[in-house]
This record gives sequence, structure tokens and C-alpha cells, in this order.
Amino acid sequence: MSEADPMRLNGRAIPGEPAPGQCLRTYLRENGAFGVKKGCDAGDCGACTVHVDGAPVHSCLYPAARAAGREVTTIEGLSGADGALAPMQQRFLDAQGFQCGFCTAGMIMTAAALDDEQMADLPRALKGNLCRCTGYRAVGDAICGIRHVEPAPAGDTVGRAVGAPAGPAVVTGSARYTLDIDVPGLLHMAVARSPHAHARIVSVDDSAALAVPGVRLVLTHLDAPKRHFSTARHEDWRDDPQDTLILDDVMRFVGQRAAAVVADSQGAAEAGARALAIEYAVLPAVIDPELAMVPGAPVIHPKDPATRISDPDRNIAAQVHGHLGDIEAGFAEATVIHEARYRAQRLQHAALETHCAIGWMDDGVLTVRSSTQTPFLTRRGLSEALGIPVERVRVLCERVGGGFGGKQEMLTEDLVALAVLRLGEPVKLELTREEQFVATTTRHPMVIDVRMGARADGTLSAMQLTVLSNTGAYGNHAGGVLFHGCGESIGVYRCANKKVDGHAVYTNTVPAGAFRGYGLSQVIFAVESAMDELARGLGLDPIEFRLRNVVRPGDPMVSTTDELDDVVYGSYGLDQCLNAVRTALGNRAADTAEAPDGWLVGAGTALAMIDTVPPNGHRGEARVSLAADGRFLLEIGTAEFGNGTTTVHAQLASTALGAAVGDIRIAQSDTTLVGHDTGAYGSTGTVVAGAATLQAATALRGTVEAAAAKLYGGPARLVEGVVLCDDRRIELSRLYADAAEAGIALSETGSNDGTPRSISFNVHGFRVAVDPATGEIRILRSVQAADAGRVMNPLQLRGQVEGGIAQAIGAALYEEVRLDDAGSVITRTFRGYHVPTFADIPPTDVFFAETHDSVGPLGAKSMSEAPFNPVPAALANAVRDATGVRFTRLPLARDAVWRGLAAAGVPDSQDRSLTPQDSTGEATQ
Amino acid sequence: MIPPQFDYVRATSVEHALELLAEHGDDAKLLAGGHSLLPMMKIRLANPAVLIDIARIPDLSYVRDEGGTLAIGALTKHAMVASDPLVALNAPLLAHSAAQVGDPQIRNRGTIGGSLVHGDPAADLPMAVVALGVTLVVVGPSGRREVPVEDFFEGYFQTAVGEDELLVEIRVPSRPGVGWGYQKFVRRANDWAIVGVAAVGAGADAQVALGNMGNKALRASATEAALAAGASIADAAALADEGTEPQADMHADAEFRRHLVKVLTRRALESAAS
Ligand SMILES: Cc1cc2nc3c(=O)[nH]c(=O)nc-3n(C[C@H](O)[C@H](O)[C@H](O)COP(=O)(O)OP(=O)(O)OC[C@H]3O[C@@H](n4cnc5c(N)ncnc54)[C@H](O)[C@@H]3O)c2cc1C
Ligand code: FES
Ligand code: FES
Repeated sequence: MSEADPMRLNGRAIPGEPAPGQCLRTYLRENGAFGVKKGCDAGDCGACTVHVDGAPVHSCLYPAARAAGREVTTIEGLSGADGALAPMQQRFLDAQGFQCGFCTAGMIMTAAALDDEQMADLPRALKGNLCRCTGYRAVGDAICGIRHVEPAPAGDTVGRAVGAPAGPAVVTGSARYTLDIDVPGLLHMAVARSPHAHARIVSVDDSAALAVPGVRLVLTHLDAPKRHFSTARHEDWRDDPQDTLILDDVMRFVGQRAAAVVADSQGAAEAGARALAIEYAVLPAVIDPELAMVPGAPVIHPKDPATRISDPDRNIAAQVHGHLGDIEAGFAEATVIHEARYRAQRLQHAALETHCAIGWMDDGVLTVRSSTQTPFLTRRGLSEALGIPVERVRVLCERVGGGFGGKQEMLTEDLVALAVLRLGEPVKLELTREEQFVATTTRHPMVIDVRMGARADGTLSAMQLTVLSNTGAYGNHAGGVLFHGCGESIGVYRCANKKVDGHAVYTNTVPAGAFRGYGLSQVIFAVESAMDELARGLGLDPIEFRLRNVVRPGDPMVSTTDELDDVVYGSYGLDQCLNAVRTALGNRAADTAEAPDGWLVGAGTALAMIDTVPPNGHRGEARVSLAADGRFLLEIGTAEFGNGTTTVHAQLASTALGAAVGDIRIAQSDTTLVGHDTGAYGSTGTVVAGAATLQAATALRGTVEAAAAKLYGGPARLVEGVVLCDDRRIELSRLYADAAEAGIALSETGSNDGTPRSISFNVHGFRVAVDPATGEIRILRSVQAADAGRVMNPLQLRGQVEGGIAQAIGAALYEEVRLDDAGSVITRTFRGYHVPTFADIPPTDVFFAETHDSVGPLGAKSMSEAPFNPVPAALANAVRDATGVRFTRLPLARDAVWRGLAAAGVPDSQDRSLTPQDSTGEATQ
Repeated sequence: MIPPQFDYVRATSVEHALELLAEHGDDAKLLAGGHSLLPMMKIRLANPAVLIDIARIPDLSYVRDEGGTLAIGALTKHAMVASDPLVALNAPLLAHSAAQVGDPQIRNRGTIGGSLVHGDPAADLPMAVVALGVTLVVVGPSGRREVPVEDFFEGYFQTAVGEDELLVEIRVPSRPGVGWGYQKFVRRANDWAIVGVAAVGAGADAQVALGNMGNKALRASATEAALAAGASIADAAALADEGTEPQADMHADAEFRRHLVKVLTRRALESAAS
């Protein structure tokens, strides 16, 4: 950029020139504007939105050189010089229009530039900004200036709409995500990936790559330890087959790491990776899971049983079998039987922040800063995969830009660590959006054969599931997802005869992994569709039919085994949820959209139950201490990726300590903070980590009061940030100082092992209209009732529920990771893989059951994965009601719906006698 | 992804841009909004060594009423085409289709000229200009020529604009008050059309263009001929897929596209007639 014509960034002239070919986005970040984010690097997501001369643009598509002489404003420049928030920033704070906050800077920049006409039409105005977390209701409220945050008196914060502690940092762009740090001398990594679904690497010629200026290191399978691990992160490592190497000489899917290149710049690393000459010997591949178990199919993991692969020769990673009662007798008793094959597709989490990690050596300790849900388990994974003692590894993360299960996986850290150990210098790996699609984990696609029977009196007599889960090239989460999917989905129904046979099979496709719902969303789609069909067969209202068959407190909750486990009825609000949805759907006046003429209208519902904690233990650890300034420090192991648990932790601690939320400082997700913490998965943020926090804070209250009594005499009480001893008020900062002098420690730890566990519920209802001519589905009404126990924070809980619903609507209607016949992912961008935009998500009425859990902290239950689970089935049931056609395959894409209706001879699905309608929902004239 | 390195030069006038094109030959690409070119470069479908920035050439961004014809400068941004009162009055279909392009950020940068020269058969503006029967003004080393829209689009990402030429103006026949219909079938908001239909006028005068039904924006000739012969909208729309060669891709197969185009043509014609 010429001296005479510099770019101005937030009011200050930027000296120097961008590199040739550099985009404005990276140039701004190099100049310290870390609030400018990347979600796609292709103009599809809006996370990089900045203003150029006042107009919002995607900075990833703007050549930096072009900004010469222009005024560029980023989120950092939106607030006043005195730090005062701009009006739009304040609105996002007041409405809490964010969760992980990764999209927020871009959202605010777009919103801040809207004129009145655009404000009146937000669905169109926000087309260019994706949010994966919120479901957009909170974003819309923020932009419209609706205030939701309420004041919370000290010590009385639980149950209130308290804002997230990180809120001010999020709306000003100062929240630091994984890559938002300046690391001097940082090296960059790029990965060369397999073009073959199944192949052996014969040789890697790295001479051309090493000749690229700036390239420092090439890593191949010869450089990697031969220590097998699983990318899945679980408290108990035995949950997953140990079938993965950091770099393997066998490629088992298109997109698998073949080699890595480290260089001084990202451009050089990518050029180096392109310059590698890798020779492959192609092996026969199996793409279709139904063929993978057939004798003679290529064996994907010819490994020994020590790897814990269930049946390597048949490509079976894991299996589950269970039979309760007598299934055939159950069918013999049935008046109605429904039998069908259901298919749930492969989905991407599509968290807006891609997987990334930065590693460096810190005084002999391998330190990895990563976008992970599980810092402690990732530390253990690194230690195992690299063969170094756990004490010499530290893993930390700051804010994580969305996870949804995809970051309960070690997908970048191991490779970064290997390079750091080799070079002794800091190394970064940031996956591109394309890599995110081709090489990170997905939801397990499943084929589910359901056979269910019911008696004339409306009770279930038999439930049978035969499940084929496609785990892809690696077995991470194969077993857990399969077991869990076949668990609560049928455990919620009282039925004496149940039979389950499930297999998770390897194929030469991108590996599946943990995904919101952990198997339940797939199986519930099948079971709840079948429940609907049985109700129809019996002529019963589907909600009435469910009410007759759901378990009630005291009933055993069984699915594949009747052995006792640690799940209890800590509380029960399923009946409340079903009734709330029935009432809401009955009120047609509350519909949020109208059915166009000629469209077919119907309603449908589905329910879901989920255990509040995963089985086999889940550990949370927290330490709460009084700090010198009289505030409290909460140190906690678990991570925050937008699920709002940090807020709940602050509320729990402040309530126990009689403090204001703002007086709880939080340090989290760093393996140096506490002994061990399983991490943020399985919806455990509130019920496990929160319980540990509450325990620590409650203990600290006792310790503080005892110390005060000892130091100052008389009974002591901690209230509203001071200690009252008789009628004396002792400031906590003074207590801290006096206690320190007297050698009294004012710090307590708490822990929780995630047992016993309770259950929570979600019931969803839709009314839809279906255009028989095009297969378009329009949602006229969406309602969800959730039983989350005592509501810790109504604002955040609603946000979690809405976000889950939005993600599930995408899954129900169009999201799908598609592969070609050779097993290669073809949906590699947001242009191909559709994530719902603001315009695509209807409002949902959210109801909370009034329950108080005996297991969770202060009566709370978990609610972060579950809202997703009933949604696809409820939608399919509504479409069935509207059209008479049962769709058994997700997504209910328009072409599939049209084809299904045409095949069933539904009038108007043929070409003639159509009614004119605008097909996009946008004005036609 | 890091796009390939490129040099960046800024053209100060149309003549300067032509000189730069002549100087750098095949290695150079014109950069207008960059919202098609940069994505192509990032995935290495385009590898220019030199980018010639034409965005700041004065006097290529305008909408003028030239009596019976609307003249639109090639660098006019989508946002401006969408909101300009002259366009709304004389070619409301064009205003509407420009408002359907991507999102506000894209409409603030993307230009009508860039969109047309990019030649994506699924894009909004190509089908609109085909329905409107525009003329395109192109300048090159041998001077200025006018290309009727029928000769402009040549195939996937191929137009009549040569490597050494510049599109400077789009000339749209003014038709205030004429009926029109626009149907963009998408799976999700903010997408390119799976199938699109733009229609102007009614009965024997109707002009219908189809998006994403072949390798370029097409006229629905069989439908137009049937209408000219007095057929009903329903009968004419049923012929909309004649002569088209829709692709199968991850969004829809050819059969669904053939079905959709009939439904959408009928709907577009119904609104044009009402
Ligand atoms: C996320 C995203 C969503 C989008 N959604 C849509 C959509 O829904 N509908 C739609 O129609 N489009 C969509 N687009 C494309 C958008 O409309 C582009 O802005 C437009 O197609 C290209 O215009 P541009 O000015 O950016 O051209 P550029 O990218 O600058 O140029 C495109 C091509 O045209 C050439 N060129 C540009 N101007 C001239 C000229 N005057 N003379 C000769 N050659 C020239 C360039 O050399 C280049 O080859 C989308 C783009 C993105 C990134
Ligand atoms: S990063 Fe620029 S739009 Fe996604
Ligand atoms: S809050 Fe929008 S992507 Fe996470």
C-alpha cells in the first residue's frame, strides 16, 4: 500500500504493504484485529464482515491491496475511543444475541450498517451471516433492541436471566479464540490428504516440497510413532477401538492425512503440501455399509483384538445385542404392526470455528492451545500417542467457537505436537472449511429397521430395532453412539418385549464421531415415526398413544439389558411436556405462518428422553478461592464452547457464596488448573461440572465463615460480599489479608463423578404446509417443551433449545454430507452443504416443565444435546399427517418429497393443475 | 486457502484497462467486485498472475434513462441496481433479480458486469437480462461493439467478451408497467437457483428465460412459441423444458429440474399476467 495512500484501520493509518495476493481478512488480523473471524474463507458465512468506507463487506473476498486509501472498520473500532459500546454492541449484550460468539463480530458489523428498510426485513438482510449456535431468535431480538438480561442481586442469581461473563468481550471482539494470539516465530502447517478411499503409501518424495522457499519440515508416516489411539476422547479409553495413528501408511478414506508440511508462512506450507509426490498403491475399497459385513469385503483394519475392534475380519467396529421378554410373543399379541427401514443421513457439525491448534514448548512442557471440548482427555491422548509422560503435556483452550460433539475428538493436536517436538518451535494448524468437510468427523449415518407392535388397548407389545451404523474409516465413538442410540430411544417406553441388534461397521469413508444427541437423533427418528404409524393404525391420537406407553416414575427404563444401572427418576416432566405441546398445537391462532392455497397441511409430534450424564463416569473438578481483591476465583477444568455453562457456574458459585455474578472470576479449561476433568461433552456442563462448582463454593462459604469467626470472634456470616461478625462488617479483602497472615487457606475444591444420573425430556410439535408441486415444506408452527429440571438461567436455556432445534431443522430439511461413488465428499463448501440462515428458521415457542431434580445441582438437569433429538421425527410425522405419505429417509429434501408424493399419486404433484405460488417465500412481484 | 500470489494494478480508465490487458495478455484478469473471481482463485479454478482492478474506473457505475432504453454501467453494484428508481420503474424484473443475489455484503461489492461476464448459468442476473432482451456494449482493441444478449452467453462461464475486452454497459429496453414474474427455487435462503425462471410480458409478447437448465441462461422457446400461438399458460408452461439440457448435481437431478421448470414457468407467467 503506498505511503501516500495508506489503508486506515479503525481510524489509524496502517503502514506497510499487504503481501501479494493477500486478502483483507488476514491482513487485518496481522494488524491485530483478531475480532475478524474466518468461518469459510469463501464469502459464505459472514464471520469476517468488516466495513469498508462504512459498507459491510466479506473481508475474505476483498484483496487487501484494494483497501488503499479506504477506511476499514472492524468490531474493535465500532466502540468509541473511550471504550463505550456502540449501540448495536450494547443490544447484543442486552439480548445475549450469541452463544459461542464466533459469528457475533460479523453479525454486529452487518447489523450496525442496516438501514430502516433492511431492519424491517431481517431474514433478507442477514442472509450473509451464518450462526450455528443460536437459531437466530436471540440475534433478531438483539438487532431489534429487545432486552432480556435481568439484574441479579448478590447471592440470588440462580434462575435469573444473567448474561454470560464473557459477553462484553464477545461483543467488542476482544474475546480470544484459539488462534487469536500473536505467537512470535509461529510456523504454519498444511496437510496433504489422500485422494484414494483405500490405498497404501508406497513412497513420499519430498524434494520439491523442501525446495519451496520457507518450507521447514515434512512429516510422513515414517516420522510418526506406531502407537495406536482413538481420536475419540472419553473418560474411559476402552470405549473406543484403538485403530488410529498420527500418520499411517494406509489411507482408509479420501481426505485422510497422508503427510504434513511446516513452513514459515501458510502460503508456503500449502505450496509445499501441493509439491509432495506421494505414490499410492490403490487397494479395493468398500463404501456401502451394507456391503462391509459381507464375507469377502475388503478388510479395513486387519488388526489384533488388543485394539478392541469387535470383529475386524467382518469390519465390525462395535456391536450390541439385547433381548428382553419374548419378541415374537409380543408380535403375536399385536393388533397393529409397523415395520419399515429408516435412514438417517451423515451430518456435519459445521461449528463456525474450524478445528485448530497451536503448539509450542514451554520449559520442556509440550503446550497445546486448541479448540477442544476436552483439554484433559486431549492431554492424555497426546501423552499416549506420542509416548511422553502426561506431566510433560499441557493442553488449554480459551473460547471455543462451537463444538456440537465435533471437538470431543483429537483431530489437529497430535499432528501439531509431533511437529513441535521435532522443531522445538511454535506450530499452528488451522483446518480450512473444505478440510472440515472432508476430514473431520460427522454424525453416524444409520440404517434402522424398525418393527413395532401394539395391542388394541393402545399399549405396546413389541419393539424391535436392527441398526446398521456406518462409522466410516475409524471407530471413534462407534460403540458409544450405537449403544446410546439404542438406549433411551426405546427405554422411554414401557414394553415387555424388546429386541435390539446393532452393528457399527467400518467403511472407506470419512469417519463419523460424536454429534449432538450421540446416536439418539438417528434412532429416535425411526422409533418416533413408528410410534406415529402405530397410533394411526389404532386410530388413536399420537400424543394420547404416547401418554399411554411412556415410562412413569417407578417403571424400569430398559432397552437392551435389564441389569440395574445408575439412572434414576431424579424428576419427571414428560407428561407436562406432552400436554404442553398438545395444547400449543391445538391453538391454530398462534401459528406463525399461513399455508398458501393448495398446500397440504398437517401436524406431528415426537418425544425424546436422554440420560443427564453419559455412562461409565464423568468427572468434574472445580476449585473456588477467595482472592486478594475480595472477589472469588473459580478454577474449573471443563471448556466453554457456547453452551453457556460458564454462566451457570458463575451463578451457582455466586449463589452459594452470597456474591454478585461479577465477583466470580473464572479460569477454565487448562490442564494446569485442576487435577482432572473429563470435559464438556454428554451435556455435563451443569450437572457434573456445575455440581463440582457448587460443592466447592459451598465448602468455601463454610471455610470463609469459620476463618472469620476464628480471626474476629463471634459467629460469622458471609452476605453480599462481606462477612458479618456480630454487627461488624469485614471486607473480604481484609479477611483475605488477615487469613493469609494467619496461614489460613481460603480455597476449596469440589468434584463430581457423574453418578447417579437422572433423565431429561424434550417433546417437539410442528404444523407444516407442503407444496405438492415442488415438495417444499413450510413450517407454520413450531413448539418444543423441555424438562430440564429447575431452570438455572431461562435465557440461556431457551437459547440452547432454540439452537438445537435450528440445527435439527437443517438436518430434517436439507443438510447432508454427500459422497460420490468413490467415497469422496462432494459437499465441500457451505455452497454445497446448507446450514440454515436466519430466513430459514421459524420461531419456536419453548415451554419448560416445572420439575426439580433430586440429582442435579439445585434441582437442575442437563439440556444441551437433547433439543435436537425429537425434531426430525416430529417434522416427518407432520408431513405424514399433511400428505398421507410416510417419509423414511432424511433429509426431507424437496426433490425427495416431491418424488414421494408423485409416486403416491398425491394430486397436484404431477405437472398439470397447479396453483401459482411463489416458491421461495420471497415476493414475486 | 491462500489464493495464488498475484500482482495487483489499478486501472484508471477504460483505455488504461485495455492497455493493461494488452500488456499482460492471458496472465491478467479484470477484477470488479471480486466476488466470483476470488472464490475461483482460492479453489484454484483461476490462476491469474495479474489482477487489473477496474472498480475505481470513474463513470462506469450509473443508471441512465436514454429514452426507451435504460443504460446501466458495467460497474454498477447489485445493491444499486436493486434500489435505483429508474430500474424499478422501467425494468422492475431486473431490480428484483438484483435484490435476490446473495446477501447485502455481496450486493455491496458485486457488479452487474462481473456477474454477466462470469456467465454462471445458475446466477440471477443472466436469466433476467435474457428475459429482458438486453444489448451489451463491449469495448476492445478494435473499438466498441454491441452484442445482443442472444449472442452473449456461450456456455459454462463463457461469454462473448474476449480476453482483451471490457464490458462497459448494459442496455435494457424500457418497459414501464409491463408484467413480470421471477421464480428462484432454492433449498435454503441465500443460494443460487436450483432452477430459476424470469418472465416479462404476457400472451404473445411474453419472454421467458430459464436459469440453470443448461450450460447458460436460456430462452424457453417452446413455451414462448406456444403462447404466441394462443396456448394457455398451463399448456405453454408444460413445454418449458423442451430443448433444455439440465445437469444433475448435488442439489437436484435432471428429472426434478425438468419438472420444476414447468411448475416455475407457469407460476412466473401467472404473475406476469396478473
Ligand atoms: C457467497 C456468495 C453468494 C452469491 N450468491 C449469488 C446469488 O445468489 N446469485 C447470483 O447471481 N450471484 C451470486 N453470487 C455471485 C455474485 O453475484 C458476484 O458478485 C458476481 O457474480 C460477480 O460480480 P463481481 O463484480 O464480483 O465480479 P468479479 O468476481 O470481479 O469478476 C467476475 C469475472 O468477470 C470478469 N469481469 C468483471 N467485470 C468485467 C467487465 N466489466 N468486463 C469484462 N470482464 C469483467 C472478471 O475478470 C472475472 O472473470 C454470490 C457470490 C458469493 C461469494
Ligand atoms: S470467512 Fe468470509 S464469509 Fe466466511
Ligand atoms: S454464536 Fe453464532 S456461531 Fe456460535
